Amino acid sequence: MIRLIGLQPTYMPRESLEFEYRVSNINQSMISAIEASVVWLTEGKGTEDLGVHSFQRLTGNALSATDWTVPQRVVVPLPDSPLSYEGKLLKISWCVRVRFYLNDGTELVAQQPFYLGTLTKEV
Amino acid sequence: MSGWWFVGSLGEALFFASFFLVGVVCFTTIVAWQFLSPSTQVVRIGYGFWLLTTVSAACIVLGAVGFWYRVLKVATSDEHREVISQRGIVPRPKQPGTKSILPPSVPPLAPFTDSPGAKLAFRLPCEWKGTGALVAYGLFAMLWNAMMAVFCVFAIGGVLKGDIQYRLFALLIPGIYIGLRSGQLFLKSYIQAIGIGSTTLEIEDLPLIPGQTYKLLLVQYGRLVVKKLSIRLVCEEESTYHFGTDIRTEHQIVRQQIILDQGRFRIDWGRPLELECEISIPADAMHSFQSLHNAIHWKIIVEGEANRWPSYCRNFPVVVYPLARTSQLNQPS
Repeated sequence: MIRLIGLQPTYMPRESLEFEYRVSNINQSMISAIEASVVWLTEGKGTEDLGVHSFQRLTGNALSATDWTVPQRVVVPLPDSPLSYEGKLLKISWCVRVRFYLNDGTELVAQQPFYLGTLTKEV
Repeated sequence: MSGWWFVGSLGEALFFASFFLVGVVCFTTIVAWQFLSPSTQVVRIGYGFWLLTTVSAACIVLGAVGFWYRVLKVATSDEHREVISQRGIVPRPKQPGTKSILPPSVPPLAPFTDSPGAKLAFRLPCEWKGTGALVAYGLFAMLWNAMMAVFCVFAIGGVLKGDIQYRLFALLIPGIYIGLRSGQLFLKSYIQAIGIGSTTLEIEDLPLIPGQTYKLLLVQYGRLVVKKLSIRLVCEEESTYHFGTDIRTEHQIVRQQIILDQGRFRIDWGRPLELECEISIPADAMHSFQSLHNAIHWKIIVEGEANRWPSYCRNFPVVVYPLARTSQLNQPS
């Protein structure tokens, strides 16, 4: 589960994005790696492009040393661009994405979209 | 990730792995045989040896790169792969004081600011789409006519020897016609390109910031009577996608604003037309954006219609920065 710490899912450039994520209903020993990232991606007519603004991967000792009974809080300063945009051929959207890799090869993905800037989204 | 996707990726990985193995076996066999038993070597050092060595080395590189690319595609997430491609497999150490002021995913400003203007700060580069067509017409006309000239020499040589080759003459007639038409097309395009004089556009400042107004100076050279001339500020989306085996690019104008609309006037040699105007970037404008397959371009388009000439259109790309960058640009360093 991902939760954005903010009153609304709209952030301005250079603001800090604060979010937390936690794992429930899964035994901690079953998790082999966790990736938490803040990404932008394009959607629309063109081939999808992906840009990674922030990426954090937890494996091995770092993963086992983490206390999963409390939500993991991450703070990421946001960049100036690209701003969220909804055009005719192209849409640029931002999201927080967390991937859990389990020991049996299963991959679980959770993502939470948010807006960067207020160009095509009213606050 | 369906089963077919997995089977396809596995098949591709196996194909590249076998390519790599074949390359390694061939390379080591050829090189080891050469050095360990040169007397029994089938392929002696010469063109054959170097050709086989190069092909085997190419197989090794292609196989290794292809295999690891496929493996990374299966074993890592999209985000992890993107990070690896940005940082490299071995992370580069960060150097202090090298923080870029370029906002992410915005085209670099350098190509737009390397030419100072005569009256305003910068002269914008002109993007003329006809260059490719002109070069293509020229190359085709040159190669086709060169080929026809060779055939003509053969045909005339035959006639002089008393051996008239009728089939060759039958081929030469349409061939020479195509050569003349291609030469004519090239000359017409060339005269159109140079006949209407050059257009230069100068701007007060770069990059452009939403909500700001900038002075523009248009200078039109040449000797012609212009019936109509207009300047537009345009925001255009560009998307590249695969359609079957084709790669297609689509453009869509999402925003435009007429900056200037000028009626009939005359331009003479040595007395170019100079027009001053202002452009305002809307406060809610999207900034310029460039990614691998998608882009948002801003450009100033100059369109003109002249007497006895076809209408012309010249594009001057500009870069619009996001609003948040303004405060950093205005801060004293």
